[in-house]
Amino acid sequence: MSQDVFTVKIAGPAGSGIKSSGLLLSHILVAHGFNIRDYSEYPSLIRGGHNTYQVSFSANELFAPHYDIDVFFSLLPQHWSQHTSEFNQSTLVFGDDAPVVLPLKDLAQQIGGHLYVNTLCLGVIAYIFSLNQDTCHQIITQTFGSDTPNLKAFDLGFDYASKNYAQSKITLIFPQKITNDKIYEGNEAYSWGFIAGGGNFYAAYPMTPSSGAMHFLAGVQEKYKITFIHPEDEIAAASLCAGAVFAGARAATGTSGGGFALMCETVSLCGAANLGVVFYLVSRPGPATGLPTWTSQGDLLFAVNSGHGEFNKIVIAPGDQAESFEFGAESLNLAAKFNIPVIVLSDKFVAESSASLSDLSTKKADIIISQQPLPGTPGQEYLANSYEHDAAGYAVEDIDTINKNAAVRQQQRQQIIKSLPSPKLLNNNSSNLIMSWGSTKSTILETLKLLENKYDYLQLTTLWPIDAEIKTILSKYQKIFVIENNATAQLVTLLKSQFDFNPVKIILKSDGRPFFPEELVKELKQYD
Amino acid sequence: MINLKSGITPTWCPGCNNFLLFAGIQQAIDQLGIAKENVVLVFDIGCIGNMADFFNTYSVHSLHGRCIPTALGVKLANPKLTVIAIGGDGGVYGEGMGHLIAAARADAPITVVVSDNHLYSLTTGQTSPTTPKGSKTKSTPLGSISVPINPVSLLHTINPDVMVDSIDGRDPQLITAKLVEALKHPGFSLLDLQQICVTFGKELSA
Ligand SMILES: Cc1ncc(C[n+]2csc(CCOP(=O)(O)OP(=O)(O)O)c2C)c(N)n1
Ligand code: SF4
Ligand SMILES: [Mg+2]
Repeated sequence: MSQDVFTVKIAGPAGSGIKSSGLLLSHILVAHGFNIRDYSEYPSLIRGGHNTYQVSFSANELFAPHYDIDVFFSLLPQHWSQHTSEFNQSTLVFGDDAPVVLPLKDLAQQIGGHLYVNTLCLGVIAYIFSLNQDTCHQIITQTFGSDTPNLKAFDLGFDYASKNYAQSKITLIFPQKITNDKIYEGNEAYSWGFIAGGGNFYAAYPMTPSSGAMHFLAGVQEKYKITFIHPEDEIAAASLCAGAVFAGARAATGTSGGGFALMCETVSLCGAANLGVVFYLVSRPGPATGLPTWTSQGDLLFAVNSGHGEFNKIVIAPGDQAESFEFGAESLNLAAKFNIPVIVLSDKFVAESSASLSDLSTKKADIIISQQPLPGTPGQEYLANSYEHDAAGYAVEDIDTINKNAAVRQQQRQQIIKSLPSPKLLNNNSSNLIMSWGSTKSTILETLKLLENKYDYLQLTTLWPIDAEIKTILSKYQKIFVIENNATAQLVTLLKSQFDFNPVKIILKSDGRPFFPEELVKELKQYD
Repeated sequence: MINLKSGITPTWCPGCNNFLLFAGIQQAIDQLGIAKENVVLVFDIGCIGNMADFFNTYSVHSLHGRCIPTALGVKLANPKLTVIAIGGDGGVYGEGMGHLIAAARADAPITVVVSDNHLYSLTTGQTSPTTPKGSKTKSTPLGSISVPINPVSLLHTINPDVMVDSIDGRDPQLITAKLVEALKHPGFSLLDLQQICVTFGKELSA
């Protein structure tokens, strides 16, 4: 089989434009019709350290970035040696001190300094893969304007490569047509879903990796008539949303684990007072400040159990950027329908990685409107109460009402289960099943491609409340494999609390990095 | 007169200053001619917060310390509404102090009414941010070591544009008059009502 997926990686210190040149490359690839999936690593600092951006691309279907690198650039000396496990014999590793010498320091002097060597590398890439130079120029001009020194840097890279690397060219099969001509990070996709779902109130406090949604929505607040506010803390963000929903807004707040911890009392308030607020929770590894810029699925049980007391809430988890859009809209509908807190549980790997998709800005979603009485309407005055209360909202402590309220919540839970996103089963007629939730979806689908679809795959999109019907699906399989990007197999714990559940193998990873397809292929091959 | 009462009998101690505020809020809304459905009251938690049950208006009984951001959420979502946040010295100046400062900085268009009885009363009398220094309370049996805050000078330092007043919370006419003034103020307003908790407040230092 000829190679179908190629991966380019750029590495260097923070502040050297790794991500911006990486995204530029992705846009160039998408303009050629390729599908892309990217991934970037960066430490929580502004200058120095070690940043990377990698993008995998393919003329065919592509679900996740790959681990093995075809072309690598070290923008400064010594930014390549820690990546040797990602290289094979044919990997081209470029840099001042790398196996394929690219004298960036010298070349930089011809283009006004080291600032532009990232774009120079794009010129080398364009030559190596025989990309269309006009298309590249066009994208660079669109991004930086027509008088940008980046054009000269690109041309210098291209020229230098044509003189020195003629024997290193890589032959690609170019796509016939462009299907997915836009690139979205999960945070942006979620935001477009929020807009499509009629979201009109967003209050958030900055916290990586959720801030992308806040930046995006703050930027488009006027255009899409969104009331946007960055308040004093996360408690205020959640409280603002609670008040806004009471007054009829479709409201969401976004944060990561630490901020969500501060919001938990409000999650509980929303459950008690029937306020349908959406919490966009983008996980990173904890505990405490943890690893701010890395990825984790370590907050599943935290989300499910968030807020003190017993009340109904919904937890749904997008598996990729497309589902981030879908659930951005769907979460607002669920919140409006049931008037309870809805948590959209994502993570850094989905939220800060990009995928090529068709245009989301024009995509429509169905909108369900809340039936709660609205302030301003005469005769329907009521109290939204954080205390246990009767139907009009007044606080009560009598046994009958307390028991009745518990029964109503129980009934509502059954109604909710019927309305939630169903698990997605990819049926390959196998007797073995891989099961996961959230961001591992994309890597698992890419893995199955490499394994020629030897497994069925079940993605749980709803994590709470759990539909016991899942059991029926699971009972058909001989072997079940669970894959989670955390240390303690939280999905397994959750399912065991609901029914008998005994997967044969649990594959875990909790080092802040996502799974890569090559890694899962190796793991799963042991069970062939 | 406009009727905003739920009919639920107030559960405050006889002689509690909150009765006067309860009447004052209704009179102020009546005098301003605001339609009942356009008023939203957002309550904090405490003896004062229990007022939520005695009104029949669009109301939120929120969380301890959170009446200000919740009220601001209501106002931002529908600016046509008259939104009043009602809390105690514990909720507004203690647990929710960060929200108060932020709302004053932003000149947020809401009115905050504080039942300032110098104590956490619903929790049976512990020290609050306005308890006089040296007071013996249930949580400061050896005498409180902190000086009390002065909400008026504090807020004026933060933002001279806000309207803030501290008045005798036992003067019914003054309460209504000042509430009317605060509700007419287009930006942020805070009315601090100096009260005495008749049950737990007798032993506070002068
Ligand atoms: C998060 C939280 N912490 C503590 C409490 C307990 N609590 C209830 S009311 C209150 C103090 C109320 O004092 P204040 O705001 O002055 O109101 P007052 O009772 O004096 O009217 C406290 C600490 C609570 N309900 N929630
Ligand atoms: S304890 Fe104090 S504040 Fe509470 S109701 Fe009684 S008098 Fe009023
Ligand atoms: Mg008090």
